[in-house]
Amino acid sequence: MGYFLEGLRQALKILFPPSRDVLEIVGLTMLVSGSATALAAICAAPLGLFLSLVEFRGRRLVVGLLQTAMSIPAVLIGLVVYILVSRRGLLGFFGLLFTPGAMILAQALLAFPIIAALTLAALKGQARDSRDLAYALGASRRRMLWTIIRQGRFAFLTAMVAGFSRVLGETGMTLMVGGNIKGATRVMTTAISLETMKGNFEIGIALGIVLLLAALIVNVVLQLWQGR
Amino acid sequence: MKIEAREIGKKAGGHVLLRRVSLDVPAGGVSVIIGPNGAGKTTLLRILGLLDQPTSGRIVYDELAADGLNARERTALRGRLGYVFQHPLLLNGTALDNMRYALSMRKRPFEHDRVVSALAAVGLAGKKDLDVRVLSGGEKQRLQLARAMVLDPEVLLADEPTSNLDPLSARFIEDRLTGMARAGKTVILTTHNIFQARLLGDHLFFLKDGEIVQRGTPGQVLQNPATLDVAYFASLANILNGRLVRTPEDVHLIIGETKIHVVSALEEGPVAAVLRPEDILLSRQPFHSSARNILSGRVDAVDDLGMVVLVRVRCSDFSLRAAITRSSLQELGIRPGETVVLTFKASALLVFPAD
Repeated sequence: MGYFLEGLRQALKILFPPSRDVLEIVGLTMLVSGSATALAAICAAPLGLFLSLVEFRGRRLVVGLLQTAMSIPAVLIGLVVYILVSRRGLLGFFGLLFTPGAMILAQALLAFPIIAALTLAALKGQARDSRDLAYALGASRRRMLWTIIRQGRFAFLTAMVAGFSRVLGETGMTLMVGGNIKGATRVMTTAISLETMKGNFEIGIALGIVLLLAALIVNVVLQLWQGR
Repeated sequence: MKIEAREIGKKAGGHVLLRRVSLDVPAGGVSVIIGPNGAGKTTLLRILGLLDQPTSGRIVYDELAADGLNARERTALRGRLGYVFQHPLLLNGTALDNMRYALSMRKRPFEHDRVVSALAAVGLAGKKDLDVRVLSGGEKQRLQLARAMVLDPEVLLADEPTSNLDPLSARFIEDRLTGMARAGKTVILTTHNIFQARLLGDHLFFLKDGEIVQRGTPGQVLQNPATLDVAYFASLANILNGRLVRTPEDVHLIIGETKIHVVSALEEGPVAAVLRPEDILLSRQPFHSSARNILSGRVDAVDDLGMVVLVRVRCSDFSLRAAITRSSLQELGIRPGETVVLTFKASALLVFPAD
């Protein structure tokens, strides 16, 4: 127990004030996971909206595929992205392997089905009601869509937060395609993993605290806004 | 605005919801679409309200055919209609926010005084700044109505607007609907409540399994139900199930040991006959008249409906309900347990083939 308390004391020392290394790692983490979530959401949120509004042949197949995609192991996505961006891969000429770009791509693929499926689940019923409501008041199609987005903003946001939380905590896949290069592709999870194995608990604990805080803050802000 | 729907069909998910529904809604007055749950009332109203597209058929709104419109024209036509949903659809925010939103959808100016008086017309002036989530079911429905009315639609379509409300709130909504009709608007109402249909309706369309089985004024439809379903819906009616038997000189309905004279052109076989409570005469002693059916029975119960009293009489093979006025009840001094005589004409029974 002693070494844990000692680790915690050292961790707080690293965090207050935060060291350059820690700041760098936290900054890159937020950049990578934030961009990945945004990239995924740009495609996934409209897809979720579309699926919640429009009946078409094969809709159930698409929804089924999305739900299946949610449970694809991250390491498989890592493998696919690795193959894609490695020198001989389809996207090899971009030279993305072991760069933040590869990490963003992999994390975005991981977040995409989560955001799409959760948007769909949260908008189910709500989007159609908003459409009926807007149309019943004589709204144009554009105003109708705007009404759905305004009425369903928490649905979109909740789905995005879930996607962000998932990719923020992803380790193995991020390590595969990013490489955990110090100062270039080292993010919180890969750093914690490495430092723990090296026996440097204090850095692990310090970054763990930041990860927890990040998750906590995002969710508290969402809750507060929603409860208003 | 008058609305003419021709051969409207609607299929969804492999199910036929509406089959060849044609109806003419005249401009002005209250047109009631009545029918049991699952008849297709909401589906039909949504199509008339341009919220859904029919699978087949066409609708003409004052010479304007809906199927030939582009998106902009369709939006413009929709703007002339108002819609009240069975479950109030409100936006997050206050009552006033909802009114403001409605006006902004049509790019109308928000005039505070006018909006507040629209809310006052439904008794919500004092609650204009309340979040809609704290409003009661009746208040939500009133707000929905005020929001539709502030846009001054030519047609108001209301989908069972009172089905989840207490009688007092329902009455309030009903009064507003008749008020709109009196002001020259066209009101289309769906309901499964026969009393509401009779009270409010100028025109009645009876919908069953996606088809209109009867139309007319409520009086016409309820006096002369065209099918057994319609008769069932005139819920006070007595329904007698038995066999039709023809003799050279007469037609009888046989129920157990009882033989009832009827007038019918149907073939022999199982039938159902409808007998309205007001067509039964109730007396202490048999009396001579042209009515050929005279039965005796024991009074089971007396149901007080206000001006009219329903007397339930147990005959040997079935029960009948007879309607008499309260003063007749007192004059005859009828109490449960006593024996009475029921008299009714053969032509009072409407005979339908059994299902």
